[in-house]
Amino acid sequence: MGRAKIKRGSTNIDMTAMCDVAFLLLSYFILIAEFKPAEAVEVNPPSSVASKVAPQSDAFQVSINPEGQVFLQMSDEMKGDVIEELSTARNLNLSAEDKTLFKQSLFVGTPISQLTQFVRIKPENLHTIKLTGIPIDTANNELQAWINAAVNVYKGKKINWLIKGDNNSKYVAFREVINAFKKNEVFKYQLITNAEDVPTDSELARKPAKAAVAEE
Amino acid sequence: MAEMEAKGGGGHKKGPGVKKSKKLSTRVDLTPMVDLGFLLITFFIFTTTMSQPTAMNLAMPKDTDVPDELNKVKESGALTIMMGKGDVVYYYFGSDPQTLQTTGYKDIRKIILDKKKSTPVDDYFITIKPSKDATYKNAVDILDEMAINDIKRYAMIDPSEDENKLIQLTEQAGGIK
Repeated sequence: MGRAKIKRGSTNIDMTAMCDVAFLLLSYFILIAEFKPAEAVEVNPPSSVASKVAPQSDAFQVSINPEGQVFLQMSDEMKGDVIEELSTARNLNLSAEDKTLFKQSLFVGTPISQLTQFVRIKPENLHTIKLTGIPIDTANNELQAWINAAVNVYKGKKINWLIKGDNNSKYVAFREVINAFKKNEVFKYQLITNAEDVPTDSELARKPAKAAVAEE
Repeated sequence: MAEMEAKGGGGHKKGPGVKKSKKLSTRVDLTPMVDLGFLLITFFIFTTTMSQPTAMNLAMPKDTDVPDELNKVKESGALTIMMGKGDVVYYYFGSDPQTLQTTGYKDIRKIILDKKKSTPVDDYFITIKPSKDATYKNAVDILDEMAINDIKRYAMIDPSEDENKLIQLTEQAGGIK
């Protein structure tokens, strides 16, 4: 039988198009990737098995650096109201310009008395200046004032109270932060950690299996 | 793009005797480049999702001085864990700090679990007492152990004077700095 001979096509495929797609995707992902929000201070949190992603909205984050200094970061939507509240509560007489600058600033890292100077420091110069942190000693606990302002502004609404401590910061500093929260009747916090795998064969690793059995 | 022809490469008339160079194909095999592109994409996708910080919930009790509101802990089910200098953990069962024992963060899980097995669930209570020399990491590590070992009842408080002294003595005896 005469069979029509199929012409063997070349196995060489033109890769140009695929290459274009690959690099297009690559550049797309790189460009849309959000840069890590500028950190108030260099803080390396410890790791834990907690798997819940840290909330970003309505967040009031207290960072503790290895020296035990305390810094404060707030979500952008909170800043304006909180500074208004604090300004009235403490009679700070902040000008409109101060408040606008505060809203643009990344974090609070000085006592309230130096706030007007602090907000005028350019972000790129921040790391060249030795910051003092927010005073947290019993005589002058300003963190408590900040928390109080946030609580008053967000009456009834939920704030995500975040605490981010450095591996090497002392527990004592953490306790002081907790105490400042407690004074404002805030008892539930979320500690920022790096994700870590649950050890196999631990109670936690077995837990979901157990729950599934119970349901059956 | 890759098929761009080199134009005019041989257009220049050479003198007689000059060998005409053979025109090479400008086609480049793009497969490795595609591989590299996709490799980078996968790499970036994986690393971005990995670096998401997570949050660990912590609820602290309200400070109270009213004895009625204080939780009572059965002595048979009590385990006290104290964190000292240099990543050392001290623990004792019941209410006598004198029976203090020393361990590390790797071995504390076994102690917690052994006690858990021999204690009724409702009686088991772990008291976490970080000393003033403990780091924040130590506190988080122990709290993490509570989550890993599925401990229902635990509290974090400061060590008493006696306990502080005991820790200091043990540290001096063991030469821990």
